[in-house]
Amino acid sequence: MVARASTTSDVFNAVGDVHRRAILDVLLTGEKAVGAIVGDVSMSQPQVSRHLRVLGEVGLVKCRAEGRRRLYRLAPEQLQPMQDWVAKYERAINDRLDRIEDYLEVLQRQGDDRDT
Amino acid sequence: MTPDRHRSAVITFPNELEVVITREFDAPIALVFDVLRKPEHVSKWGATPPDRMTECSIDLRVGGNYRSSFVTGDGTVFSFSGIYLEVEPPVRTVETWHFNCWPDVEAVETMELQERDGVTTFNWRLVFRDKAGRDHMTGFDGQQDSLDEIEDILRSLLDPSRA
Repeated sequence: MVARASTTSDVFNAVGDVHRRAILDVLLTGEKAVGAIVGDVSMSQPQVSRHLRVLGEVGLVKCRAEGRRRLYRLAPEQLQPMQDWVAKYERAINDRLDRIEDYLEVLQRQGDDRDT
Repeated sequence: MTPDRHRSAVITFPNELEVVITREFDAPIALVFDVLRKPEHVSKWGATPPDRMTECSIDLRVGGNYRSSFVTGDGTVFSFSGIYLEVEPPVRTVETWHFNCWPDVEAVETMELQERDGVTTFNWRLVFRDKAGRDHMTGFDGQQDSLDEIEDILRSLLDPSRA
């Protein structure tokens, strides 16, 4: 196993934290300033800012300035590695369950043959 | 003939400690239970080629052990084992879950079946003792080698003796 990457360089580690997921959930509803995010999650502003920095470094959250405010928004396309990962996982599990289904069908057909 | 339900498994991570998989089968509950819990059936569908099952023992009673082992195409051996905590055919089994590649991880899995109108719903829940255990399934560094390694592990996650 290759050594695990640091928190700030890997989208999986970035979303592995429940607080950061909460922040992403809040941003799902649209662009927000830090103050608005703080209002929606049970965290202090410094905590939220720290998590936003991590999310920003992996590209999941983008930031722009509007006057003196800094607005944060989701960049969900950065979740692609996770989607790819889950797809592999789903394929593997489906392969196994599909084999069970096929086998059940064979068994039931054999049962029907015996009944007739 | 009923169309197959291939690719229809629903996989969710409802919280920090659990993985849940649900899937429907067009077969009576008693048959589904046997296929999932009797070694003579499990050995028929258990391994994903080119993997081969090399061992499949299931002592289906409270306190009984199960173990299934596989060898992959490149010769790697992996196995799942545990002890049955609850056995209620054909609706439910609860068992401890050990995967030889993750010796420190403790988990309990529950398999529940429910039949309605000839369709049996399979519900499989793996609950890790702590978050470090569950993180084995999410902590990966994005490198291709690890991805492949994790894919191999996940491919075998749905252990045939307890699928």
